[in-house]
Amino acid sequence: MILGIGFDDPFLVGLLGVGLLLLLVLVGIRIVFAASIVGLLGLVELLGWAPAAGIVGTIPHSKSSTYALSVLPLFILIGFLAFHAGMTQQLFDAARKWIGWVPGGLAVATVFATAGFAAVSGASTATAAVFARVAIPDMLKHGYNPAMAAGVVAAGGTLASLIPPSAILVIYAIIVEESVGALLLAGFLPGLVSALIYAAIIILWATVQKDVGPPVTGFTHMDRLKALPGTFPIFAVVIIIITAIYGGWATPTEAGALGAAVVLAMALRRGMKARTVRDALMETAKLTAMIFAMIWGVLIFVRFLGFSGLPEAFTVWILSLDMHPMVIMITILLAYAVLGMFMDAIGMLLLTLPVVYPAVIALGFDSIWFGIIVVKMAEVCLITPPIGLNCFVVNGVRPDIPLGKVFRGILLFFIADVITIGVLIAFPEIITFLPSLLL
Amino acid sequence: MTSETPGESPGGSFGSFLLQADRTLTPFENLANFVAGAAVLGLMLLGVMQIVLRSVFNSPIVGYIDLVELSMAVLAFLGAAYCQRLGGHIRMELLLAHLRGRTLWIVESIGTIAALGIIAVIVWFGWDHFLRAYELGDTTIDAEFPVWPSKLLVPIAFAIWWGRLFIQLLGSLRLVLDPDAEHIGVVVPKDAAELAQEEIRETFGENQDDGR
Repeated sequence: MILGIGFDDPFLVGLLGVGLLLLLVLVGIRIVFAASIVGLLGLVELLGWAPAAGIVGTIPHSKSSTYALSVLPLFILIGFLAFHAGMTQQLFDAARKWIGWVPGGLAVATVFATAGFAAVSGASTATAAVFARVAIPDMLKHGYNPAMAAGVVAAGGTLASLIPPSAILVIYAIIVEESVGALLLAGFLPGLVSALIYAAIIILWATVQKDVGPPVTGFTHMDRLKALPGTFPIFAVVIIIITAIYGGWATPTEAGALGAAVVLAMALRRGMKARTVRDALMETAKLTAMIFAMIWGVLIFVRFLGFSGLPEAFTVWILSLDMHPMVIMITILLAYAVLGMFMDAIGMLLLTLPVVYPAVIALGFDSIWFGIIVVKMAEVCLITPPIGLNCFVVNGVRPDIPLGKVFRGILLFFIADVITIGVLIAFPEIITFLPSLLL
Repeated sequence: MTSETPGESPGGSFGSFLLQADRTLTPFENLANFVAGAAVLGLMLLGVMQIVLRSVFNSPIVGYIDLVELSMAVLAFLGAAYCQRLGGHIRMELLLAHLRGRTLWIVESIGTIAALGIIAVIVWFGWDHFLRAYELGDTTIDAEFPVWPSKLLVPIAFAIWWGRLFIQLLGSLRLVLDPDAEHIGVVVPKDAAELAQEEIRETFGENQDDGR
């Protein structure tokens, strides 16, 4: 054909394409370029130059101009504004007053404050960075073990990807053509379960080893009540998004718009400067461009994959394996765990889902369930060596806590995450219950 | 980050030419990215208006969804070159972060040439895509807004992006020839610790690289 490599078998071309893509990504070509180049080459080989280039010239616009994707920039904006609105300090303050008294109380408070902040920020690393500044000094002041203080912040950051609004869940929904609203709702309970299991592990640790996390007492009920109003915008955003999706009074995009407006109003009221608003908008635009580039880049590759018939072939092969679906699922999850150690979560999902997802569905798994599990898996990788970006972020903000100590502190939270994934596999209802109410 | 030392002309005449090119393109990238950012704000206001008009006054904005869909091109593409300049497009830096000197810049050059190729194809055929819509007078189905302005953004935004990539290619090639020269118009790959530092800067708004 045009490329002159003379492969008539689309399947073989597809296989070569996947191989080339992996190679390009490994040597460090940016994902958007790697995916779209391989997509173009593959389409040229299968269809010829003119149709292929026509498709490639069309996809960026046609795939980006969809209403469902318009929720992404708004969620990203909420995240960038939330930090500047001073919400983290207030959240942590409220949480420590309410739950500081339990063993490891400040660490437990950090978990719930990060979970709360996750509700306005979809970004794990940002959440970890913010709480490294807010919560770690307080914990150290009260004699907490630095490893625990650093570990809880790095781990707490990962909650952002499950608790709505989560950008990565929106991307999953778009790629597999699921309802964005359903995925957003589905992440809520698993995020909560993750937080509760973290809290349980901390309390256990602080009870066994009395000196790692002493309880902090002395707050009156008045103190506690006074701390609540500062957390209002967080609850407002959660309530807006969940009731909008559940009650149908607004689309996810409209709910995101209202949430962003609430957070912006709060930030301005707290004295956010025009320059800071501008910076937040610049950051939002940059991150939006990055995410959209990956989406259309991968969709060019996906179009090529579609013509090659590779996803169907992979599905047929998976189904031909005489293994229990759960064994296959666990194998897939372990593969993700390894991949996630070296790769950005969104990039990993975008690159693998086009092939893996149809097979998973053919095995009889629920698409929403799989989305949550895979995202949780990807997040666990944010705290595992060798990359464990969240740990590096915590260490970066607090250079006085060595990286080794952060990774030691994370160990128990890693175990907590493994337990969480086990629980989500054993009780899929935790994931599917809220979205099922939609129907 | 683009490295930049104002005042002198480091790295000889080619270096100063590169610096000049970098400085010429930067305001356009900043402006395009700012327009995208302002559009996010617009999308927010539009969404709030839509909720209020629909639920309070029972008169939703005509063509709201069409408007949002058309404006996605602004949000999705105009920040691409800015993002490229700041090294924001995701890649696996596991291998790159270990490369040093000439090898690194050879790999970078090859990658950038490939990127220039694909972006050129999209500029060219994105223009065709726009031209078809323009000549046929294509409109959205619901509110019948013309589609061509939205499609025109693809060749425009991608052309700026191509320009940035071209500067980065020249920057990399210059460092292939002289790996010890000062970094101009290139993005240096980062390992996990450096990546974390960047995340921290971005989070706390201390990244003033765009403030020119």
